[in-house]
Amino acid sequence: MTLTICLAGNPNAGKSTIFNALTGARQHVGNWPGKTVEKKEGRLSLSGHEVIIVDLPGTYSLSAFSAEEIITRDFILDAQPDAVVAVVDAANLERNLYLVLQLLEMHVPLVLALNMSDVAESRAIRIDRQTLSERLGGVPVIPMVGSRAIGLDALKAAMMRAATDHAAIPPLCLDLGAPVEQEIAGLLPLIEREATPYPPRWLAIKLLEADEDLLSKVPPALAQAAQQAADRISEETGEDADTLIADARYSCIGELVRGAVSRAAANPITVSDKLDRVLAHRVWGVVIFLALMWVVFQFTANVSAPLLDWIDGLFSGPVTRWTVAILGAFGLNGTWFESLLVDGVIGGVGGVLVFVPVLFALYFAIAVLEDSGYMARAAFVMDRFMQKLGLHGKSFLPMLVGFGCTVPGIYATRTLENPDDRKITGFLTTFMSCGARLPVYVVFGSAFFGAASGNLVFALYAIGIGVAVLTSLLLTRLVFKGKPAAPFVMELPPYRVPNPRTVALYIWGHTAEFLRRAGTVILAASVVIWLLLAIPVNGGQFARVNAGDSLFGAISRVIAPVFAPAGFGQWEAASSLMAGFVSKETIVSAMSQIYTNASDDLPAPQPLTDDARDIAVGLGEALVLTGQEIVNIVPRTVNVIPGMHMPEANLLNQPPDTGGDTALETALRAAFTPLTALAFNVFVLLYVPCLAAVAAMRQEFGTRWMGLQMAYTLVVAWLGAIVVYQAGLFLGIG
Amino acid sequence: MMTVLRQVLQTFEQASAPLSLAQMARDLQVEPAILDDMIAYWVRKGKLREVTEAGCDSCGLKGDCCSPIVKLPRRYELAADDAPGKPPCCCG
Repeated sequence: MTLTICLAGNPNAGKSTIFNALTGARQHVGNWPGKTVEKKEGRLSLSGHEVIIVDLPGTYSLSAFSAEEIITRDFILDAQPDAVVAVVDAANLERNLYLVLQLLEMHVPLVLALNMSDVAESRAIRIDRQTLSERLGGVPVIPMVGSRAIGLDALKAAMMRAATDHAAIPPLCLDLGAPVEQEIAGLLPLIEREATPYPPRWLAIKLLEADEDLLSKVPPALAQAAQQAADRISEETGEDADTLIADARYSCIGELVRGAVSRAAANPITVSDKLDRVLAHRVWGVVIFLALMWVVFQFTANVSAPLLDWIDGLFSGPVTRWTVAILGAFGLNGTWFESLLVDGVIGGVGGVLVFVPVLFALYFAIAVLEDSGYMARAAFVMDRFMQKLGLHGKSFLPMLVGFGCTVPGIYATRTLENPDDRKITGFLTTFMSCGARLPVYVVFGSAFFGAASGNLVFALYAIGIGVAVLTSLLLTRLVFKGKPAAPFVMELPPYRVPNPRTVALYIWGHTAEFLRRAGTVILAASVVIWLLLAIPVNGGQFARVNAGDSLFGAISRVIAPVFAPAGFGQWEAASSLMAGFVSKETIVSAMSQIYTNASDDLPAPQPLTDDARDIAVGLGEALVLTGQEIVNIVPRTVNVIPGMHMPEANLLNQPPDTGGDTALETALRAAFTPLTALAFNVFVLLYVPCLAAVAAMRQEFGTRWMGLQMAYTLVVAWLGAIVVYQAGLFLGIG
Repeated sequence: MMTVLRQVLQTFEQASAPLSLAQMARDLQVEPAILDDMIAYWVRKGKLREVTEAGCDSCGLKGDCCSPIVKLPRRYELAADDAPGKPPCCCG
């Protein structure tokens, strides 16, 4: 005689492992008719019977919400297997029992395979299988470790008993409460009269749950009666019938496991929970977030500085020298083409590429925080902080995305349901300092603040958050006066040691994106800037004109006075800010061309072997200094505490603040003061992010809102820069 | 008597600050996995919504156009009556 036994269970309960252990090589894999869901069948011989084992799709319930659920349910109802083995994860028993209860409601001969018992044991979960079996109406409960075939023989014996002795297992009659039971009682005679192929009580429950699949299969009169019964339940209890039924199942699970399952502690406090008491604390969480960000920016600005100087030396030295030599071989020295390559491409794009180590360091720090699980806490803590301030909650998450790039930050507002929330958050996201602005901060930080440049970067990021908070307050008080939205419930993943591969992939992904932008947008912008700088307006020769007498200089002179109250009313600063509309890295590219004219000061020729030696020695020194800066993060952090002084490492015995200045840093020191540099950076932080962000704003919020947002950011940036400069003058800092 | 399922929904309605799923499970004295199922129930009923990112995973560019700097955690919120469907791809 051939018996059919099927395996049912939640996804990842170990069903396939047990299926393989039972059937060995005698398997057939195909698809369920009309579905893309895999169907696995196998055979074995047991006690003189040929047994077909069917591995049903993994499912959490037997409703009709997914193909897997319908396949599982229909197979059990239509094929009427001789027995069903419910494979459950012993370490996650409660969740798995929901499906088991539904199988018992179908009155199928059932065996409970308590798989992964070893995992449950290792977590100090003790299951009294005798009690559990009694509470399930005598269903055999077999402890197993499927991966090691432990319990396999007991399972085979139990499933053969269940398959050949159907009377052994009584149906489970879950008490669904008086209102539901009363309506089931009313439906049963109708169901029995219609002679459907389904178990009557099970069908009554499913119809009350408004199971669309079954409602379409039963006669219309029965469907209508079930609908009316469900309406009566709703009227009487104020709850939908399916909610009451689901809740009864959850209550039943609670009763089943009470006394039958014991744990070291219910929902035990984990290490992550303990850490969260501090890191996700409503006050300390915010303080720690700000402190960590400070450390991140110290790390970013200081650790990257030696390699930044080395790459700058590479572009301004050997790369420029080799380019000039190659052009000389073609008789192109002193031509506009040489100016284009040296000033436009090497000066413009190279001026931005030197910041690769800065972004590398930033992405490394963020990747470590992200993969450790901390960034989810940061989002959680700051979101709660904003909610407490009476701001629209849920905004910080998209804003946090804006730290990387404003464009995905604006698109991330789509996750917000309310259109007003979306607009407010889109508005705020532009003030979250994106990675493209970082090179600007770093070049000014290195030029004016030396080893303390990390403080400038941190201050600018903090100002960005502060302006975002003030803007949010303004918008929620004056423009969108609606009720604040209800907050999130959020999953906080457990803390873990960051995975080096994940961190490496993250860094590469983001750095590659930066390099791609350098080769496209920034290259194009650099060439356009070079062209504007090459066109003379007051006579002179193309590409041989002083920047101030160029078309770019003339245009910039018109708007430069606007910035005079902020202390940087020179045309050079104005033209750099104009270039920044394309992208923020372009500011550095433009400054490299405007403030330093590489083709006017070409490096002296030297043998190729000398270049090779200089590059290797320079790289070696840069790596040693990078290591030193990593070590010095500790004393610099400790020294922030008043009264503390921890000496810093100085491996190459350099005097303080004598890192190699780039040509741009030297030029900036001649053009700016520390105060005007700060005001300039505040403007860079707050004004329109870039063309791509403007396009995203238009796409998401419409032309009118985009225009409003651009105007607002320009005004706020201008006022912010003026306030910083004038306050500095007032305090005598300038 | 209020059902446990209803308590889950009520917690969302009455929350005044973001909550973690783990804390909510402890407050309601249910297993975190069971709480997941209960939330999934209300999501199916349209009372809650899972907040998913702007469809990057379903986009042909697989997020190349966006590459957000942080991966936002899984989160749920009350669904408004005019709740939109799946958010469109971030690539527009």
